[in-house]
Amino acid sequence: MRKNVIFLLARQLCKDAFRSKVMLIASLLILFLLLFSAYTGWENYHDQNLTRGLVQDDVQESWESNPDKHPHRMAHYGSFALRKKHVLSGFDLGMENFVGNAVFLEAHKQNTVNFSEASMSTGLLRFGEVSLAMLLKVIIPLLIFYLGFATIAKERENGTLKLLIGQGITRKEIVFGKWLGLWSLSLIFLFTVFLVVLFFVLIGSHDHLHSDTLIRYFVLLLSYLLFFGILSAITILISAFSKTAKGALVKLLGIWLLFVIIMPKSLQAIGYYFYPTPSKIEMETAVEHDLTKLGDSHNPDDPHFKALKDSVLLAHNVQKVDDLPFNYGGFIMAQGEKLSTAVYLDHQERLYEVYTQQNNVERYSAFINPYTAIKNLSMAFSGTDFKSYLHFKSKAEAYRFKLAQDMNQLQMDFIPNKGKEGPSKISNKYWKEFPPFEYKFLAITKVFKNEVISILALCLWGFLVIFGLSRLSTNLKAI
Amino acid sequence: MYSLLFKSFFRTKIFLISLVLLMSIGVISILIGKQYLVKQEKTIVAAQEFQDQSIKRNVEYHNDDLGLLLYYLRFTLINKPENINAISIGQSDVNPLLQTVTIRGLEGQKYDTDFENPSLLMSGNLDLGFVIIYLFPLILIAMTFNLYSEEKELGTWKILAAQTSKKASFLFKKLIVRILFVFAVLVLLLFMASAILQIPLNQNFWAIFLQSILYLCFWSALCLWMVSLLKSSSFNALALISIWVVLTILIPAIVNNYVINTYQVPEALDAMVEQRDGYHEKWDLEKDATMTGFLEAYPQFAKYSVPEDEFSWIWYYGMQHMGDLAAEGTSKEMMEKVMKRNTVSENIAFFIPTMHAQLSFNSLAGTDMISHLEFLKALSKFHEDLRLGFYTKVFDKKSADSLNWKNHEAKFYATKQDFSWLHLMLPTLIITMIIGVFGAINLQRL
Repeated sequence: MRKNVIFLLARQLCKDAFRSKVMLIASLLILFLLLFSAYTGWENYHDQNLTRGLVQDDVQESWESNPDKHPHRMAHYGSFALRKKHVLSGFDLGMENFVGNAVFLEAHKQNTVNFSEASMSTGLLRFGEVSLAMLLKVIIPLLIFYLGFATIAKERENGTLKLLIGQGITRKEIVFGKWLGLWSLSLIFLFTVFLVVLFFVLIGSHDHLHSDTLIRYFVLLLSYLLFFGILSAITILISAFSKTAKGALVKLLGIWLLFVIIMPKSLQAIGYYFYPTPSKIEMETAVEHDLTKLGDSHNPDDPHFKALKDSVLLAHNVQKVDDLPFNYGGFIMAQGEKLSTAVYLDHQERLYEVYTQQNNVERYSAFINPYTAIKNLSMAFSGTDFKSYLHFKSKAEAYRFKLAQDMNQLQMDFIPNKGKEGPSKISNKYWKEFPPFEYKFLAITKVFKNEVISILALCLWGFLVIFGLSRLSTNLKAI
Repeated sequence: MYSLLFKSFFRTKIFLISLVLLMSIGVISILIGKQYLVKQEKTIVAAQEFQDQSIKRNVEYHNDDLGLLLYYLRFTLINKPENINAISIGQSDVNPLLQTVTIRGLEGQKYDTDFENPSLLMSGNLDLGFVIIYLFPLILIAMTFNLYSEEKELGTWKILAAQTSKKASFLFKKLIVRILFVFAVLVLLLFMASAILQIPLNQNFWAIFLQSILYLCFWSALCLWMVSLLKSSSFNALALISIWVVLTILIPAIVNNYVINTYQVPEALDAMVEQRDGYHEKWDLEKDATMTGFLEAYPQFAKYSVPEDEFSWIWYYGMQHMGDLAAEGTSKEMMEKVMKRNTVSENIAFFIPTMHAQLSFNSLAGTDMISHLEFLKALSKFHEDLRLGFYTKVFDKKSADSLNWKNHEAKFYATKQDFSWLHLMLPTLIITMIIGVFGAINLQRL
């Protein structure tokens, strides 16, 4: 293969494309969409984070300004965790609008994360959202197909393909030249979008996370680069092996619909169909059932807590709980919290496993559908996938647990047992000592681990199309 | 003439592919609807059982302290599902089917969500509504884009033109054959849905039925117009798919982004914090700070005394209610914002048949935003009735045994929504007629 021939062919394809009407209309449309989605994406990220940051600060302020009181009052006063958006959510919205944004953290109870954008939206949300990533995932592929369907098929129909081959250009050179041309054409859009995203990354300061965000950025860039390469190759291959340009177009449109619209949705639905999940009330019933079996701190005759009491009395060598050197109520609540949290998290873990099974049906289809691979990769590295949300949720739960247990510990240390001398309140300096909720995004290494399948699938697709282009191009029919 | 056209159509590959695709995905979507209904039923049974069991157990533990008992007890209000929900699941997967609340502050419980896989929420339900809105137009496009151009490109058009003087009417008939087939599949699927999902053939069902027919008429008119431009097959395919993408993906998504960004709802977060602080700060204040507000809202409890230096249930539930009152204004603003989002979306949808079809399906199936807001209103009423019923008994220090708990099973709320046929049909009808007329005029020139 001669490099200069390939470049010449590639350049020719680009030149022809720029002369076509499709390119002009598409470019205008995409420019509009780019501006619109960049603006709304940034505005959404910025405004939401600002609001949530302010509320989070308010929450901390009111926590600290509580007067002296009984620590258990503070455990019930609780706190809120607000989900911060990653700056790259301005690029790929992912599940952002379908997961909750705020959760009330209090003792004894795991509350749901509420106020998702979806819960405050009309049915329109189901049509999808415009984001820069959506442009790259959904619209540009269609454009690549539009621009590329005729490349080889049309040349064959016109008879110019025969001429090219007659001039000593090999079939391989033709195929690779066209591929390179189409790919570079798509990269114009890719680089424009990523230039905008670079601005997002640079001005949307996650302070300490700058390098982390840059890695995410470059992974996204590389993935989309590869994705467009794969799509361009598919286009060229379909065009090369279709009798007519029309046939190639119809096939490519079919592929687009199947890959982007029909397959992801159907597979998600199938996953849901085969792995049913319990409703909240069913899970709560199960949690309560398990708890009453293990030990119910509300039940005065519960054997588990009765045994606990006896062993504590024995260890401290006293007759009555009121004689213990610490507050017994605080101790029991700490034990109860530990037990109920463990049971709850166990059930929740099982629920998430079913979700993972549901999602895996679609996830593994990345090996037949490159769109699925890029969709999951893009969400994960933009910090808007399910795992990122779970990470927030687990951090919020950890904070809740620490809050409840710290308050229980304060009660044990400073509040006297019934009938003993001592204060019923403690100083508010202890509230100020309790650190605020600060959320750190999922570590980049974890994201890589979560997305092994997608990365593998995308790379496999890369090899497959290169192999396809070089092997099959030798069979290219000139007429 | 028609029988020949039908025969030739039945021999095409696209006929077979369309039939298999529409029927299989259509049936899958109905089964998904069925599964959705089964899950709802299971949830309701679980909720009823939960309430029953929890009352039984807690009454045993806290018989002598009704105030404490009611601190724990949760009461369920269920948004009574209708089978027609399953045709267009809409927002009913995001919004919970039921809410179980204690008689403490409502604001902190009202917006609790149910568990649902966010990946599923994102990709949306594959319900019959989706099949009608997305897939049927695609099939129409696939069957009609080369109606004329194929004959032209194969060279058969010249032979045909030489044999008939009514070229336009021939094309028109060819189109009718294809449209009739699509309509037949649509009607079949709708009746299958009605049979499998046991949807009564009531006004709402027929409204969905007619809206679907009208929606496909719109796409048929669009295809007719495209054919009437007499362009090449490639151009038609490219143009029609682009229109489909613009109408079913881009415009609704743009409108959605616009609505979400323009009408942001920070009030939701504010109300949440206000409610907590409004309640908790009362613990550190004089009893009067609570009782004045509480008795203003419910003067009927003025006769109960509130001891100044010890805990009492009237004070406790008063504080809880003060939390709700503190958040009342912001909460109302939040609801208004959400309503505003709905109104703006609906108004824009009048001009875009795809959006109009989706929103009217949801509204007719009772799975739209408004149905949920109505449910939340009913929940507030339910909560207030519960509180007022229990307050007297708690303040009178009645024992738990003295209450008739049989009356406190899970309750149902049935939504009743009216709709206007004019709003439902007119927008799409007008658009369809305009496009259809343009197409017909073009064809006459053939």
